[in-house]
Amino acid sequence: MRSTRLAAVVAIGLTATLALAGCSKKNDAGSGGDTSSSAAASVSSSASAGSAGAGSGAASAGGGSSSSSSAGGNSSGKKYKVAFVPKLQGVPYFEAMNTGGKQAAAALGDVEWLYQGPTQADAAAQADIVRSYIQQKVDVLFVAPNDPDSMAPLLKQAQAAGIKVGTTDTDAPNSVRQVFVNQATADGIGQGLTDALMKAMGNKGKYAIVSCGQTAENLNSWIKVQKAYTASKYPDAQIVDIVYAGEDQAKATQMATDLMNAHPDLTGLVGECTSSAPGVAQAVKDAGKIGKVFTVGLGTPQSMKAYLADGSSSASILWDVQNLGYLTAWAGEQLAEGKTFQATNKVSDKLPAVKYTEADKMLLLGPALAITKENVDQFNY
Amino acid sequence: MTTTTPPRPVPAGEPARAVRTRNRVLPSPVTGQELVLLAVIAAMWVALYFTTPAFLKPGSLQPLLVSMAPIALIGIGMTVVIITGGIDVSVGGAVMVCSVLTAKTLVSSGVSLLPAVLLSVAVGGVLGLVNGVLIAYGRVHAIIITFGTANLFQFLGLQIFGSSTVNGIPSTFDVFGRGVAGRSFGIPHAFLITIVLAAVAWWYLRHTAGGRHFFAIGGDAQAARLAGVRVQRRILLAYVLTGLLVGLGSCFVIAQGTSTLDQSVGTGYELQVIAAVVIGGTSIMGGRGSVLGTVLGALLVQTVSSGVTQLGWNSNLRDLFVGVFIIIAVGADLLRQRSRRAAA
Repeated sequence: MRSTRLAAVVAIGLTATLALAGCSKKNDAGSGGDTSSSAAASVSSSASAGSAGAGSGAASAGGGSSSSSSAGGNSSGKKYKVAFVPKLQGVPYFEAMNTGGKQAAAALGDVEWLYQGPTQADAAAQADIVRSYIQQKVDVLFVAPNDPDSMAPLLKQAQAAGIKVGTTDTDAPNSVRQVFVNQATADGIGQGLTDALMKAMGNKGKYAIVSCGQTAENLNSWIKVQKAYTASKYPDAQIVDIVYAGEDQAKATQMATDLMNAHPDLTGLVGECTSSAPGVAQAVKDAGKIGKVFTVGLGTPQSMKAYLADGSSSASILWDVQNLGYLTAWAGEQLAEGKTFQATNKVSDKLPAVKYTEADKMLLLGPALAITKENVDQFNY
Repeated sequence: MTTTTPPRPVPAGEPARAVRTRNRVLPSPVTGQELVLLAVIAAMWVALYFTTPAFLKPGSLQPLLVSMAPIALIGIGMTVVIITGGIDVSVGGAVMVCSVLTAKTLVSSGVSLLPAVLLSVAVGGVLGLVNGVLIAYGRVHAIIITFGTANLFQFLGLQIFGSSTVNGIPSTFDVFGRGVAGRSFGIPHAFLITIVLAAVAWWYLRHTAGGRHFFAIGGDAQAARLAGVRVQRRILLAYVLTGLLVGLGSCFVIAQGTSTLDQSVGTGYELQVIAAVVIGGTSIMGGRGSVLGTVLGALLVQTVSSGVTQLGWNSNLRDLFVGVFIIIAVGADLLRQRSRRAAA
């Protein structure tokens, strides 16, 4: 009797579980992945300055596709296979890069764009995908390494197999990569944030920074620039505090609220990552201090839209993630054709003058982009 | 557990401080730990009043109370669960599922406040039911089951997110938020709801036979069963209750976030809730505890967080202080247990 009852209950429980899993399963498996931990990893602990961090919490209209080849119009001869292995797939940031890569492949005509990444930001899983591309003998291989050090020998292996190799979004400095496609420099981000905030604050006043992971090297390198740049260029402005909220929007909002209470004369707040950028704006809105306290941050366009519209956020500093993907595909074509990069390259109408520095073999997407209420609608992620 | 718990009277309470009310043995309405907590919180508030410019002003206290509300609210359920000798480490995952589902519904269909809250509460209830059924009838320890379901819920939540954030959440839940819409007569609604529900739970746990049964189960489940307590049903109820409160708490979480919900929602929530419960004096071994203590525990933790920020101290010190409070609270509990055993 007892055992039948137990069995019945377990059966009901399992049915409920399955039903729940069934009705909420919207996207294909795999694309969801464990994005919580990996997104956190990407925002807070990416190794290099100016790395993927800021974008990982972003929104994208079309996520989920794992690989694609676009049908270019040009059918003369062979298509170069350009493969890109992101830190992880399924997150809006890299999906936006994938979209840009596909656009480039369609525009260039002679590029077949391949895209596959691990479902978690895991170096070993990423290495497996890199190995499979080496076996497929792609022409060009781009990687945004989770672990630059362990990726270096693999890139060497790829090169030995006759594949052109490059890094994008995050560099592997001590590797054989032939080019690094860099989205923005630490100076670009730090100065962009400071200039945007100072414009709103009238070049003076006290402000505080709500950062995320305390050990995130990319965030810390931006903060370092902000400190130095504020001290040198804006002598009437002062950073009064830097706090760390982790990747928690509610915590960032509460900390920003506490900062405003602790410093009644505070007129500015910076949200250093994608969770705290809308967080500081929400705090200002909730406290009814729009127009008295100004905020800027590294927020993705869609998450900042409402705050840019009501004035609780003055600007969001980021880069055009789709263009970063476009530039990566273009660089792949150049490598495949054996061309060398010029000091200034015309990539497309949107990227008319991309700088290249020979010393560190780096293509720079351009200055950081200030997203305001005027241009926020141009971005769908 | 290596030590054997000596048989305790059923209902188990705090016999040392027991008072006789209408021929029933009841523990005193406020425990020593709660008084100590109150004193610590009061001392902190006074200290912060003198050391910060605006700690005790409404502009600071109101957001503080909003911020602690979901932790305290879910803590009510967690207190009951822990009193029965169980634990629920899946509340973080459950918060994620409830909040993303509710947020998506708000964005896509623009439902009004009440249906949205009911949806969230219902989803939470179903998740709690899954936990409860598996624990009460599966007879596996709660930490194993809920650890499993925590991962399951996390997976579910991420599937619903579908590799993008939820953007443009309407202001439906602003009545639970930090803003002006979130208060009446200066009192935040989220806090008020939490306090009312905590008071009901406090009365139920203390003054009804059903409530006392939870303590009996935590004290000695076997003895409780022999005394006629329907142990499995009670345990099931505890987890379903927690699930329902997670559902309501998720609405508060959405309200105090931004207009965008990202995949980090709910992360670490189980630990924050358990910290509040433990600091509040509920014995992690089961059998003893109070909802009042949990609310005070949540208030203490948020006071420490806000205090550290408003004093301009290093953000990490918050973790240090909370850690110290947990150890002191658990230590005090163990000491009490030992002295009771020595007295028996």
